[in-house]
Amino acid sequence: MNIVVLLKQVPDMEKVKFDSERGVVDRKSAGTEINPFDLNALEAAVQISEKLQSQVISMTMGPPSAEEALKESIARGANDGILLTDRAFGGADTKATAVTLANAVKKLSSYDLIICGEKSVDGDTGQVGAEVAEFLDIPHVYYVDEVRKIEEDYITVVSNICGGRYIKRVKFPALISVTKDINTPRLPSLRNKMMARKAEIKKWSIDDLKEYLNPEEVGLKGSPTRVKRIEVPPEIKRQGKVCRNNISSFVDEIFKALKENKILEG
Amino acid sequence: MTEKAHKGVLVYAEHNKGIIHKVSYELLGKGRELAEKLGAPLYAIILGPKDIDIKELIYRGADKVFYIEDDVFNKPEEMLYKINLVEAIKDIKPEICLIGATTFGRSLAPRVASALGTGLTADCTELEIDDSDKLIQIRPAFSDNILAHIHTVTYPQMATIRYKEFFEAKRDINREGEIVKKQGIIPETRLVEILEEIKGDGIDITEAEVVVAGGRGIKTPEDLKLLKELADLLGGMIGASRDLVDQGYISSDYQVGYSGHRVKPKLYIACGISGAPQHLAGMRDSELIIAINTDPSAPIFNIADYGIVGDLYEVVPMFIEKLKRQESIA
Amino acid sequence: MKQEVLEALRNIVGSDWVVSELDQTKGYLYDETELLIRPDAAEDSVVVKPRTPEEICEILKYANEEQIVVVPRGGGTGLCGAAIPTETSIILSMERFKDIIEIDNENLMITVEAGVTLSELIEVLKKHDKLYFPIHPGDESAHIAGMVIENAGGARAVKHGIMRSHIRGVEVVLPTGEILNLGGKLTKNNAGYNLLQLIIGSEGTLGVVTKVTLKLYPEPKYSATLVISFDNFKDAVAAVPKILQEGITPLAIEYVDRVIALEAAKHIGEKWPAEKGNVDLIFMLSESKEDTLYDSCMAIEDICRDCGAIDSLMADNNKDQQKILAIRSNTYTATKHDLADSLDITVPPAYTPDLMNDLMDIAEKYNTKITSVGHIGDGNLHNNILLVDGKLPLYYEQMKEDMYKAARKYGGTITGEHGVGKTRMDSLITHLEPKKLDIMRGIKQVFDPNNILNPNTIFYTE
Repeated sequence: MNIVVLLKQVPDMEKVKFDSERGVVDRKSAGTEINPFDLNALEAAVQISEKLQSQVISMTMGPPSAEEALKESIARGANDGILLTDRAFGGADTKATAVTLANAVKKLSSYDLIICGEKSVDGDTGQVGAEVAEFLDIPHVYYVDEVRKIEEDYITVVSNICGGRYIKRVKFPALISVTKDINTPRLPSLRNKMMARKAEIKKWSIDDLKEYLNPEEVGLKGSPTRVKRIEVPPEIKRQGKVCRNNISSFVDEIFKALKENKILEG
Repeated sequence: MTEKAHKGVLVYAEHNKGIIHKVSYELLGKGRELAEKLGAPLYAIILGPKDIDIKELIYRGADKVFYIEDDVFNKPEEMLYKINLVEAIKDIKPEICLIGATTFGRSLAPRVASALGTGLTADCTELEIDDSDKLIQIRPAFSDNILAHIHTVTYPQMATIRYKEFFEAKRDINREGEIVKKQGIIPETRLVEILEEIKGDGIDITEAEVVVAGGRGIKTPEDLKLLKELADLLGGMIGASRDLVDQGYISSDYQVGYSGHRVKPKLYIACGISGAPQHLAGMRDSELIIAINTDPSAPIFNIADYGIVGDLYEVVPMFIEKLKRQESIA
Repeated sequence: MKQEVLEALRNIVGSDWVVSELDQTKGYLYDETELLIRPDAAEDSVVVKPRTPEEICEILKYANEEQIVVVPRGGGTGLCGAAIPTETSIILSMERFKDIIEIDNENLMITVEAGVTLSELIEVLKKHDKLYFPIHPGDESAHIAGMVIENAGGARAVKHGIMRSHIRGVEVVLPTGEILNLGGKLTKNNAGYNLLQLIIGSEGTLGVVTKVTLKLYPEPKYSATLVISFDNFKDAVAAVPKILQEGITPLAIEYVDRVIALEAAKHIGEKWPAEKGNVDLIFMLSESKEDTLYDSCMAIEDICRDCGAIDSLMADNNKDQQKILAIRSNTYTATKHDLADSLDITVPPAYTPDLMNDLMDIAEKYNTKITSVGHIGDGNLHNNILLVDGKLPLYYEQMKEDMYKAARKYGGTITGEHGVGKTRMDSLITHLEPKKLDIMRGIKQVFDPNNILNPNTIFYTE
């Protein structure tokens, strides 16, 4: 069985700086890491592979430096890493990203299961997984917080959706997107870490995917959504209103604020 | 694709086992506003079991409601929804399509958008129409630190919208509109099968949108019921400072603080909590903070949006009463 | 507390900032000292929350005239009762001293008011790429001034030393009402006795610190945390001196019994990363070059393997490292309900294995266990005397004295970082030569002639 884990290299959000006056995001000094949600996806894949002796391939689209994230995934248990990197892929929205990833998956000799994290901490969309599934024409299950059973042709999972938990049985090949509740990602051993630093990461450019991919569908060209501008809202200041007398009318004021903030129905 | 080929604003009305989700009314409210700016009709579409009270969607502003009726839609099976929704959108040809960013909406929308070959903007918090009648979709990113203004070059312009970002559309039972019922497309073989729904019982205070927390001002363990009542009315959970956990009033699952859980709810109500640094470390990032304490010098007031110098045993019942009164009106 | 005192205090700070109802003062009466050994607080004490050094001057002048005891209070995270008012007192809470006064990027220093917490300091520094403050005593709700007057230690002392090494200046209000500025931004200063060093570690007995200037450091580019697991404590403890002798200097080498790690992780809803083995060593490292970092990690691992380590895990992103630190920092709170006394005896680092062997024998003698967690790289382990059926065991005093004796045998001290406070005064009398105590009393007398500021702390003053 082959499992593909889709992951993304993201800036360390604790260190990204936001300048509200100039409206810019400075991620230069932030350093990078694997999107935290994707670590859950990787851990889920590695746990399955330990039971079924399957292969785990991690895949990402990004700049050449995203190789680091794939090496890290190998340290944490992936067998192989594939980096989709090409200038032509730059500026992609979720659709163009999903098209690129889906076609790279097609290039693999075979796959049964694709696992991704709930969303990325920088883009925050959570769309790429379902879009990849659509482009591959395979079923998907979102918000998986438990893997119940794996059979020859099926995986049974628990999906936390619509305010309930649903046991869903899905036919391979399939894509699942997991939540952070599914597991606690393990730390790599120091030895795996050392080994992974030297691991070879396959790099596929647009040329390597030309049998599968129309160049018009990738990168900025292939992106139907465009960012017109970015706004960095200033930090919210606390109201700091304190009341000692006439509490009842103060509570009315609070209720008004709760309604404005949509915490209470208006 | 030319613009004229697409007209109208389509709201996907979500339901859970036949009960319409409130986000649908919020989308109708916003959708109405957009439709009027464009001089276009407002449509709603619902895929659901029989006998949903879909007139409600008209009362809330839809000019025309498409109702794809089948009991299979009692279960949240995205693949079935997708096939039907995609076909319907191809027929309706709206210029804008809005879906609530609930868990189901987040799972369904990208599937539908890619099947239609159009773009999708996730988790919007504001929508505007620009001078050339295009939809500007405003959404937070980078863990809510920035707002991106996005437009879509394909049609329909699709977006998912966060729950509780817009006001619900006003209800007008004299409104009239058209209802179009359709047959569902139900394929023979299904790749996803829902075996069972299980009931959860996990306590995760970090997920709560509202936390009503008690501290040293709580005199007996029974008094926590008062906070629980308020939390229930607000759809939230109760929390506690370390003192209450140390005294054995409540389990550490509910403890907020440096040596406890760090929470970031939309609303945090601190009742009888003085605000020791220990506690503040666990809740200072809450969106709105209300503090109730008899001690005007309590540090909790420094980080509160609304501070009430008073006895929680008098103030909390005031909140409860007002909420109950409001419920009985609604 | 007498009405007239409350009135006088209200006149100084305003009536909102004088708190006398027991309901509201309760949170100010105790610190984190183990429940069964902490002294009882005087419940008729009053809490005052001044905002300026001038208000503190007035309070102290008044208290000095009226002979009322004043006990300064920070974050309340102390572990030896220094902040507990054992007689009717004015509790001077520094919680309103919250300003970050200056970040000096050129001299790499920061000046903050007393009540800024460690967690707030860390937050502020996050906004400045290159700046970093190394001391981390565990509970991040500690006030910076509290860390000064307790001379906090904690992890990361292997490379950076303790709080004392990083304090450049303080503003302090004396019990007699004068405001002094001690030290400054100087690296060198030989003008007379170093009064700044006297204030550091004085446990709130010599003056009230209102402002602190700290040395900052460029943040190291690469950092990692290793968790190396062993079957037993002997193997783990033996590895540490060998690593230090190799010239490898991590930020911190921490030891933790697995049972404690698991309990602490559970307490904060996390998972302890190691599964194999029974005890863990945690190594925190930072370097300016990635290769150097890995070289050090490998060298540490090799030595640990030679000593019998069975597994080693590596965290190199911030979140994973913070998670491990958070679990480590919560070991005390998570296990406090079982503790009679968590000692912090300290020996020269290389003698730790010998000390631990002696402690094993002591535990056996009393037919109990000693659980351990702490700063093994500094020779500063917290060895826990456990409660028996929720009560102080009869042998508690005797066993503690035996443990202190063992420390002394290797040139050690009875407290490496927590201080003497109000719980270890008797032990200090046996530990120190009388002449040393005499000099300390003399110093106290010069600073506080009427003995109003936190009396009967460190040593008996009456």
